[in-house]
Amino acid sequence: MTNPIIERELVGALRTRKAAAFLVGVAVLFTVIVALRWPTDARVALSGSGSQQMCRLFAYGLLAALLLLVPGFPATSIVREKKQGTLELLLNSSIKPWGIYLGKLVGVMGLVVLLVATSLPAAAACYAMGGVGLGQLATLYLVLLVMALEYTALGLLVSSYCNSTDSALRVTYGLVLLAALVTVGPHLFLEGKGGPYAQLAARLRYISPIPAVMELVGQSDWSGRGVISARGAPGRFLLVAVISTLAMMGATIARLNHRIFDRARPQGRITDERSLVVRLFRRLVFLVDPQRRKRGIAPLVNPVMVKEFRSRRFGRIHWVLRLVAACAVISLTLAYLTTAGTLDWGVETIGGIMAMLQVGLIVLLAPSLAGGLISSERESGGWELLRMTPLSARSIVCGKLMSVLWTLLLVLLATVPGYLVVIAIKPELWYQVSRVLVCLVLTAVFAMLLSAAMSSIFRRTAVATAVAYTLLVGICGGTLLIWFARNAPFGREVVEAALKLNPLAAALGIIRMADFAQYDLLPANWWITGYLSAACLLILVFQTWRLTRPQ
Amino acid sequence: MSADEPVVVTRHLTKRFGSLTAVDDVSLSLHRGQILGFIGPNGAGKTTTIRILVGLMRPTSGSASVAGADCVREARKIKRLVGYMPDNFGYYDNMRVREYLDFFGAAFGLSRRRRRRRIDEVMEMTGCRDLQDRFVESLSHGMKQRVGLARTLLHDPQVLILDEPANGLDPEARIEMRQILVRLARMGKALLVTSHILPELARICDQVAILSRGKLRAFGTLADIMRSVSRRRMIELQLLVRDQLDEAAQLIRQAIEEDGQVVASATENVVRFRTSRSETEMSDLLERLIQQGIKVAQFREVHTDLEDAFLSVTRTDGQPAAAAVSGERS
Repeated sequence: MTNPIIERELVGALRTRKAAAFLVGVAVLFTVIVALRWPTDARVALSGSGSQQMCRLFAYGLLAALLLLVPGFPATSIVREKKQGTLELLLNSSIKPWGIYLGKLVGVMGLVVLLVATSLPAAAACYAMGGVGLGQLATLYLVLLVMALEYTALGLLVSSYCNSTDSALRVTYGLVLLAALVTVGPHLFLEGKGGPYAQLAARLRYISPIPAVMELVGQSDWSGRGVISARGAPGRFLLVAVISTLAMMGATIARLNHRIFDRARPQGRITDERSLVVRLFRRLVFLVDPQRRKRGIAPLVNPVMVKEFRSRRFGRIHWVLRLVAACAVISLTLAYLTTAGTLDWGVETIGGIMAMLQVGLIVLLAPSLAGGLISSERESGGWELLRMTPLSARSIVCGKLMSVLWTLLLVLLATVPGYLVVIAIKPELWYQVSRVLVCLVLTAVFAMLLSAAMSSIFRRTAVATAVAYTLLVGICGGTLLIWFARNAPFGREVVEAALKLNPLAAALGIIRMADFAQYDLLPANWWITGYLSAACLLILVFQTWRLTRPQ
Repeated sequence: MSADEPVVVTRHLTKRFGSLTAVDDVSLSLHRGQILGFIGPNGAGKTTTIRILVGLMRPTSGSASVAGADCVREARKIKRLVGYMPDNFGYYDNMRVREYLDFFGAAFGLSRRRRRRRIDEVMEMTGCRDLQDRFVESLSHGMKQRVGLARTLLHDPQVLILDEPANGLDPEARIEMRQILVRLARMGKALLVTSHILPELARICDQVAILSRGKLRAFGTLADIMRSVSRRRMIELQLLVRDQLDEAAQLIRQAIEEDGQVVASATENVVRFRTSRSETEMSDLLERLIQQGIKVAQFREVHTDLEDAFLSVTRTDGQPAAAAVSGERS
């Protein structure tokens, strides 16, 4: 190999036992799928429906695996070099910026190709059983590979801007979540309604690879209501993906020069020493000015909680307040538009959008806030200092968890006015709304405890955050992939069992959203979420006890 | 406890990790107002000993106590008695120096008013008042060391355990750090300080403990250690002709026999050896060297300092530490 970065990134990654175990695991998974679905009956349907069902299963599985796993590698790639000081060495070497970029891109894509290659035997089996064309399979692989390339380019771009691996992961997963799932959300609600909003929503979904994959595996549309929608999702997705990939590649390569380090040490300018006009302006903009000299930590307040609010990179109080304000405005706007008759949405649609918005925010915020609670302390050396204080392990953990819980609850509370409007429109819905709120609070608690547990298990914040994101997105998004294939190959029982894990599905079911109302998800979902939360809490408590006791 | 009693005591302290003995039967003590220089090569067991003293680790056997509090059974009490500054600074993002100190003050349970007063005092003492509004992560290494020391002093501990406090400091800051440590000792605090900059330690230490491969090789006042090491003086022979290096080393080995180790440095054209032989015997040796045609440029005794004492003690425990440097052969 002429590019040493490819060798280091790809060969270095493949040399690890984890990578080998991971690839073998994926290969075994696809083999099991083929083995389970292989026809044992002497008669085979000429329509090839069995083969198509299997094709759907493995296409969604591959899509989910790529969506969850690919962004983590490029997101940490450049920022880690920046933190370790090796990016300076690379930029000072004879390798050109595009060579560095290409090395990293090919390194990640090499892993992706290997991952995709493990599914080839399953694809070959689908083809051998009939009903699935070679062109169909080739297009499916093309869509998946272009999607992986797009998200790799996105991860590298984010990585070149961020200053820490955890923030790079957070932003990348957030953007992937936005591009792959949120962009199809409006179409889910507006499908078949007509009008400019519905048209816009139909076009917006081409940003996501999901409609393209659905079309390729022979599913009619997103929500499967039998509404005939425009074809050509794969082509449109490929066009959007290639253009955005090229743009992101250019932007990242342009950043790979000495200017990436052009940043002076902050001198710690303080608002208290600025003019009255500036102080008033900042007060209006920030509400809680982060550059104001703070008073000492008040008595009876857990100092660890205050420290977390003051020191974390993401989720500091001025940003939380902005987020709360945005949530409140969005929920009230939705409610107002409906009551004013601008939109002919039912209250179920509004409730569904608000529930999706909140779960999306929880999934996005919780790992980034709680994924580094313990691991970041261990990375920075702060854990040793905390152990040297008289603070007990219980107060350390409580302080840390409270800082996350308050943030999440504030975000949830911000949409309460929207729900109140919903109840005002349809008073009989108060019982459903209260059950939805229980679902959301449980989701917040579970997301927080899961992320905190990962943070106590893994030493690196980036790894803990990535694992927390993968698990949460897997539960809240991955189970929806099974729901997409609810007509075939999955039956009602399988879909219901999968959705019982998903608190978003439970919330949508309570609101009586179409295609969710038919499943009986409560109280099973609450019990499962509760048990999982308790298990995560146990892990967190045990790990914290282990880490604080004398060695 | 009375003023004469040692404030830090370890008795037969031993820590094993599987088959590795990191600390082996270490017994030492430290009184109020004293500075103990705790030195040893990398991996000697210094940090393990320190971590046992501050209650972060349990000894396999033996005991350690600070101001009468047992480091294992009374770990919570130890935290208030000891101020520990690890070599890793341990900072938080987006925190200004004053907020950082305020957090640790609150963690030690100081009231808001007392905290404010203590923060002003320790910032004054460590010379970081001008840094109070700076972000901790943006500070230079030397500034971080000052803030780290300020953090260590916040709860007014009786014992200070400082791991490499002078590490990364410029010469001026190093002098200031030295002055701060002496001032703290005068205030009656007991200081246990590790450092690889031995001349720095030699200037301020009342006692020195030299640890090597987990064992305490020497412990006492600096004068005591020098005296014990000086029983075997270091003699340096500088040659005019490099080709005669091996011949000269051979002659010296024959003359001092089993008395000491002879190290020949080809890069410096020098032969060094330790010996307890008398002045007359050394005079005879020089005469014999000259008679054998060795071109001697210099034949002198090298005065012992803490570095020599350290090398002397650590080299004689079966591990030829510095002699393994390229260009040297013994």
